[in-house]
Amino acid sequence: MKSKLFVLVLAGVTMLGVRAYAHHSFASTYLEDQQMTIEANVLQFLYRNPHSFLQLESKDDKGKSITWAVEWGAGAQLGSSGVQRDTLRPGDHVIVLGQPGRNPEDHRLRMINIKRPSDGWSWKGTFD
Amino acid sequence: MTRNTISAGVVLLLSMSLPALAEIDLSGSWASINHEDSLERGGGPYPADWAGIPFNEYGRAKALSFSQSIISMPERICWFQTQWHIAAGPFSLRMWAVPDPLTGKVQAWMIGAWETRAPMIIWMDGRPRPSKNAPHDQTGFTTGVWNGNELIATTTHLKTGYIRRNGAPSSDQATITTHFLRHGNMLTLALLMDDPVYLTEPYVLTRSYNLSTNPVAIGGPPCIVGDEGVESGRVPHYLPGKNPYTDEMTKLFGIPEEAAMGGAQTMYPEFRDKIKDKFKLPAKCKLNCGN
Repeated sequence: MKSKLFVLVLAGVTMLGVRAYAHHSFASTYLEDQQMTIEANVLQFLYRNPHSFLQLESKDDKGKSITWAVEWGAGAQLGSSGVQRDTLRPGDHVIVLGQPGRNPEDHRLRMINIKRPSDGWSWKGTFD
Repeated sequence: MTRNTISAGVVLLLSMSLPALAEIDLSGSWASINHEDSLERGGGPYPADWAGIPFNEYGRAKALSFSQSIISMPERICWFQTQWHIAAGPFSLRMWAVPDPLTGKVQAWMIGAWETRAPMIIWMDGRPRPSKNAPHDQTGFTTGVWNGNELIATTTHLKTGYIRRNGAPSSDQATITTHFLRHGNMLTLALLMDDPVYLTEPYVLTRSYNLSTNPVAIGGPPCIVGDEGVESGRVPHYLPGKNPYTDEMTKLFGIPEEAAMGGAQTMYPEFRDKIKDKFKLPAKCKLNCGN
């Protein structure tokens, strides 16, 4: 229990030292008071600056394919929290919780947490 | 005659190696203090929150047409912000002096780039400003002069940009005046935006930095274009009268729309008296409440 607490505190301290990379305004891009969950397959993981993006593919009620762009932290930020460029691969089935974009046409989310049921891998955190 | 010539030469040499009186060293890594205006520096402001910006009607109309998704167009993702992003962005600064190879005097002060802002070169050698018809870019052209121990930099020849990350615009006719004020290990920048196209008065922002031994990168990491949800060819925008967020600040924080829409009067303290009967304190603050 103590070791978990130590790891959490250490992670928090580490995040405080990470640079922010915001090139746009989150409050203007996302509905920060709302959350939605999508279950989808990974198309591509863009591990990059200024922010990483995860492209996911899901089906709507009519079976039509939808491509989602899930915004995540910058490469350096994710790297410091254990997410590497090959952590997620095309075809991985994942469940993502995020804040929906203000423009529904974009099919966009801001990452809150992600789980990969096949092996139990998960990530949860915040980023600027 | 010979003695006089030698004396004059010695004086000249000495004067060349000494900085002008009251100049101070600005070099180093300056860590941004982002709890100051934390929403502005960090996550970014809300849509249609332009309180305190001295818009004219053209500036407001341009801002109301802005959809945040436009920044995710493939051709705009890595588009540099103007030098105003020093004030409106979240980053720390790295500053250093570039010597003139012949005289050893400071020819220019440099502020390192970020991934979304070009480096600022502050020319200190008195070179003339380019013609007003010279090409403009996001970097602009900057010259500096010392006023006592304060460096004053003037930037012109900019392209259009944003003065707030929610789409408040600046034009290619704008001039940015940046005052660098050092107090020991603290640096304060006071930036003034004069824009005859979109503003009726100068817009002023200050921000402060702490000197840090942790080196700030001299250039940001490369920006890489990727799919951010806006397909090539679509230009997100709002037509006149169609911006859905004009009442966002009223709904979230009870701030009257006439304040959120900006204008010079919203910069001044007496405006609070004017709208005090229209401000309704929300029963509960839900987001970004300062805690």
